[in-house]
Amino acid sequence: MSVDTSSSRPVDTSRPDGHVDGGDAPQNGRLGPLGWLRWGWRQLTSMRTALMLLLLLALGAVPGSLFPQRSADPNGVTQMIARDPGAGRVLEFFQLFNVYTSPWFSAIYLLLFVSLIGCVIPRIRHHAKALTAKPPVTPSNLARLPAYQARELLGHDVQDVLGELHRDLRRQRYRVARYTDHQGRPSISAERGYLRETGNLLFHIALIGVLLTVAIGAGFKYTGQRVVVEGQTFVNSRLAFDSFDPGRFVTDASLPPFSLSLQSLKVSYVQNNRNAIGMVSDYTAHVTVTNKGGGVSRSTIKVNQPLSVDGNDIYLLGNGYAPQITVKNPAGKVVFTDTVPFLPQDANLTSLGVIKIPDGLAKQIGLLGFLYPSEVNSTSGASFSNYPALINPVVSLNVYTGDLGLNSGIPTSAYALDTSKLTQIAGPSTPVHSLTLTPGKSVELPNGLGSVQLGAIPRFASFEIAHDPTQYPMFGFAGLVLAALAAALYVPRRRVWIRAEPKPGGVVRLEYAALARGDDPRLDAALTQLSNFAHQKGTS
Amino acid sequence: MVKRGSALLGLALAIGVVLSGCAVAPPGLVVTGRGSTTFDNTITEIKAADRGKPITFGGTQVDGSTADSRSWLGSPVVVNFWYAGCPPCRAEAPDLAALYDQFSPTGVKFVGINVRDQADTAAAFEATFGIKYQSILDVGTGAVQLAFAGQVAPNAVPTTIVLDRQGRVAARIIGKIPASSILRTLIQDTVNESSTP
Repeated sequence: MSVDTSSSRPVDTSRPDGHVDGGDAPQNGRLGPLGWLRWGWRQLTSMRTALMLLLLLALGAVPGSLFPQRSADPNGVTQMIARDPGAGRVLEFFQLFNVYTSPWFSAIYLLLFVSLIGCVIPRIRHHAKALTAKPPVTPSNLARLPAYQARELLGHDVQDVLGELHRDLRRQRYRVARYTDHQGRPSISAERGYLRETGNLLFHIALIGVLLTVAIGAGFKYTGQRVVVEGQTFVNSRLAFDSFDPGRFVTDASLPPFSLSLQSLKVSYVQNNRNAIGMVSDYTAHVTVTNKGGGVSRSTIKVNQPLSVDGNDIYLLGNGYAPQITVKNPAGKVVFTDTVPFLPQDANLTSLGVIKIPDGLAKQIGLLGFLYPSEVNSTSGASFSNYPALINPVVSLNVYTGDLGLNSGIPTSAYALDTSKLTQIAGPSTPVHSLTLTPGKSVELPNGLGSVQLGAIPRFASFEIAHDPTQYPMFGFAGLVLAALAAALYVPRRRVWIRAEPKPGGVVRLEYAALARGDDPRLDAALTQLSNFAHQKGTS
Repeated sequence: MVKRGSALLGLALAIGVVLSGCAVAPPGLVVTGRGSTTFDNTITEIKAADRGKPITFGGTQVDGSTADSRSWLGSPVVVNFWYAGCPPCRAEAPDLAALYDQFSPTGVKFVGINVRDQADTAAAFEATFGIKYQSILDVGTGAVQLAFAGQVAPNAVPTTIVLDRQGRVAARIIGKIPASSILRTLIQDTVNESSTP
């Protein structure tokens, strides 16, 4: 044959003669918008994509544990931004301080969600069909199947033997069908292990359940923190929280009313181990819980042993000292008295506190206080604490006067002193030394403003009150994930066929064959069991 | 086999995600700031037919006397939750003092609920702003906050609640009173209600 050079078609010499290329080939890759949608849906609902998204979800959750999160640790975020504003801006841009609520994280789990549902629904439909369908027709040549045995029985009716085997297979939870081929040979076709696919589907459904629980349940969650000084009471009401982080669907009525009084916070320190002296060995908060009805109960809260009240878990988060500070005006009248929580700055509970006296003196006064529970002086003269318990407690106060910034109506932090409109009148960088107080001691404020006295030094505890209605559904779905996975992995799915052929002389030839769907090391054993069963029945 | 392996991998990842989501903050020196949250001024007025149960409360007041809300039944009561170091409370104090002067002669009761301070601190605040009504000191027992917790709760400091003559919540302002006239209207509405329930 010669090449037709007059043809405009390109000639491919690597192809056999007479091969026609080009024009008549099916048009490839011309997808309309609907086609593209269908293509996208198929990609999204493929197993590969679901796995990729699951991996992405796990990876996406990592920054949430590397960087402080606004929802859990707002102060950590503020500190991080303050330490490095540049990095803070970058992290902020990628929403790494709000990972779990960020659009990109939401996109991952929503896509995963859609992907899982899109993958599961057609499989459920398919499985439902399989569940109602009869086991397949017996193949004509059983000897070609991976597991095969043939045995002969003497002096038995073919139907009797098949009937016994039928019942035995039913006992073993096989689904059984009877067929007769064109040669008139009766056979049994049986299949078991549908639970494997059921488990597989349930596993996926439970995963969707876990995702739904996380996504919807978050709206009903809330957490709040509150600092409570010994002898004081906290009420589970939004006004009482120092900080409160409600889910989207949390209303006033979501907070069950109860109050929690901190009777005492007992802290014990390691004393008999030289290497760990001063380490905390135990915190125990002794509390009283009062219900709205008036019921009172006593209880204790320890670290990692929260108290459960009306669906709320109350955790003991932190602790510190709250020195009793009393300020008198020059006439000796008390204008301020309170136990002021001082925030611990180190392991030996050197603590920093801010005391604001807005009323009753000629000028507003702010005190910046340092508490040294066990004060010692370094060679340079600076004070520090060398033990966290109150062995030699000293409070030193820097004094400021002026405008505390409380009258503007704008909420401010109680733990920070805005010195922009204040003048320092005692402490470093002034001619007057810091005021030094020990329990029971009173000292005059500079400029005849009055006096300040240190009383007792009770402890405070910071509590977190958390309500998480997702706990139980989460437990249920996680349990279902594991159970369904076990079924999907360990339930063998297999088909078994038995064909009976009457032979001359009253002999029945029985052929047994089995096919595993997946791995099934017990396939041959299952056949042997069946043939032995038929033989025992036959010889008895 | 491939499918089995990938299912296991998926489970491990899913559990990893779940676990990383519920990490508990380590115990330590974690304290979050008080009062650094800004609250919007939310005003709620409840029609007489929709009001909840009467609220009964009481406690020791700044001057040492004991208050019991049951003795005020028959009069509207203005309840203000506050503490001295709370900037919005200080900002609205003059308005409350003026409204007290206006409504007290007509039989409206005013009572403060101090949620943080001891008596002397509260008294110094009252002297600064010329507050003439008493406040119940609630930091020790929380009894008043517990009595008000529920459907229409005081959700922030300050919160101002108007109780009707039967002691039911008729109106609530969360946060600083936006304008004196708003609280005046809420009080007047309650005063104007028929005195017989």
